[in-house]
Amino acid sequence: ELGTKPALTQDLEGVTTATTFVLEQPRCIFGNFSKAVIWLVVALDKDAPAFNNSAEPGTPETAFQSFPNAVSAYMTLNATLASYPCPKPAGDITVLRVGSETSCATDVSRPTCNGPLPGPGPYRVKFLALEGSVPVAETAWSAPITLRTAKPLSSISTAGGGHSAGMIAITSILSILLAILLAALVAMLFSCGSDSCGSSTFSKPESVSVQRYNTHHVYDQAAARL
Amino acid sequence: MAKSDDCMHILQGLLVFGNVVIGMCGIALTAECIYVVSNPHGAYPLLKATESSGIYAAAWIGIFVGLALFALSILGIIGVIKASRTLLLVYIILMLITFAFEMASSITAATNQDSLTPNVFLKQMLERYQKSEPNNNSDNEVTKTWDELMRQNHCCGVNGPSDWQNYTSAFRSTHSDADYPWPRACCVLDAKGLPVNLDGCKLGVSGYYNSNGCYDAMSGPVNAHAWGVAWFGFAILCWTFCVLLGTMFYWSGIEY
Repeated sequence: ELGTKPALTQDLEGVTTATTFVLEQPRCIFGNFSKAVIWLVVALDKDAPAFNNSAEPGTPETAFQSFPNAVSAYMTLNATLASYPCPKPAGDITVLRVGSETSCATDVSRPTCNGPLPGPGPYRVKFLALEGSVPVAETAWSAPITLRTAKPLSSISTAGGGHSAGMIAITSILSILLAILLAALVAMLFSCGSDSCGSSTFSKPESVSVQRYNTHHVYDQAAARL
Repeated sequence: MAKSDDCMHILQGLLVFGNVVIGMCGIALTAECIYVVSNPHGAYPLLKATESSGIYAAAWIGIFVGLALFALSILGIIGVIKASRTLLLVYIILMLITFAFEMASSITAATNQDSLTPNVFLKQMLERYQKSEPNNNSDNEVTKTWDELMRQNHCCGVNGPSDWQNYTSAFRSTHSDADYPWPRACCVLDAKGLPVNLDGCKLGVSGYYNSNGCYDAMSGPVNAHAWGVAWFGFAILCWTFCVLLGTMFYWSGIEY
């Protein structure tokens, strides 16, 4: 058994979704097995230790469509070593997306389908190299992989975001200003309602006397005409 | 005597100046509110769908308040120059009514802004985007608006593509998670509107999908409009307060 474990890729937004996850390709791990076919074994975390390497891929005992009820681990994503050349060219994205084939998810004639995973897991995976049906190398089981669960839509609370400082400032200051204006209006009307205003503050004696003069003048003129 | 005359004339001058400023600000307020009303930004259908478009009510009130301020400022100037008690009393009372309306408009614009949290848009998007049996036209509008928004601003979801993963949605019930971890509109699209690299988009490789949320692009214009209406109204009202106090003082000093 090789010591390395399969690992999730780094720096991808979609490294785990609700039904898929993305693994690093097993590059430069299986050294000399040029005739071997490398399979990915996927099992639930609790069923991983019970997996027997002599299980054959493509049989009902390892069919994806019966996972996880009748089948405790399925085998998929078969490839020869030629698909995983070593050394890895720098800058290439080398990933395996587990769960990407939706077309064969219910097609029992394709037991090695790489179908979407049925639940959030946790799952463990390992790579198994088979020559014919003889296992020749395998990696260790990976760390448990848990997929994302979607929270229900109704759990989003749209309760008001509270009151910002600006809104409180506007409301309180404007209310105070309006109150002052109304109070001033009331004071103005009451204190000046009896026409007692104006005599003590801004008196305009010249204009007063001009008014009286005009009144006399008009009366004189009217009398004169008659 | 001469001193009170000088005071009178200074007060008259100040009041005329104050009213001129109010008149000009009234025109400016009308212009600003007409701009806000007639220039709905791209996310307007979303606002309408949240039934929280108080900003438009506030802007409509602002248009009429601005015109009223302009008319009243002319009345005020005439009243101050003629030193007429009746004209000034009418002016003061009408100005107080206008003050109250503008106060309502300003507070509505400010309150409306506070209620538009990201969660409001998130919930609406998850409920209505690509709803399979659209109940009414507004569901189609929501879908079209979101597609436009995501394509033009190169963004995805409200907080990011993980919105589609973190919550159930109408979209998720019709599109499988393996094929559509997030909508196609979140992918970087070529000139024909097809994803440049579909696998890269589904994996979430940077450069092939939009990783930012759209909330900033949406809330930017809405915020600018709303705070513009609210704060400009507030500033006008502060100035009007001073002018009105001065007018009341002047009124009480006029000889009958």
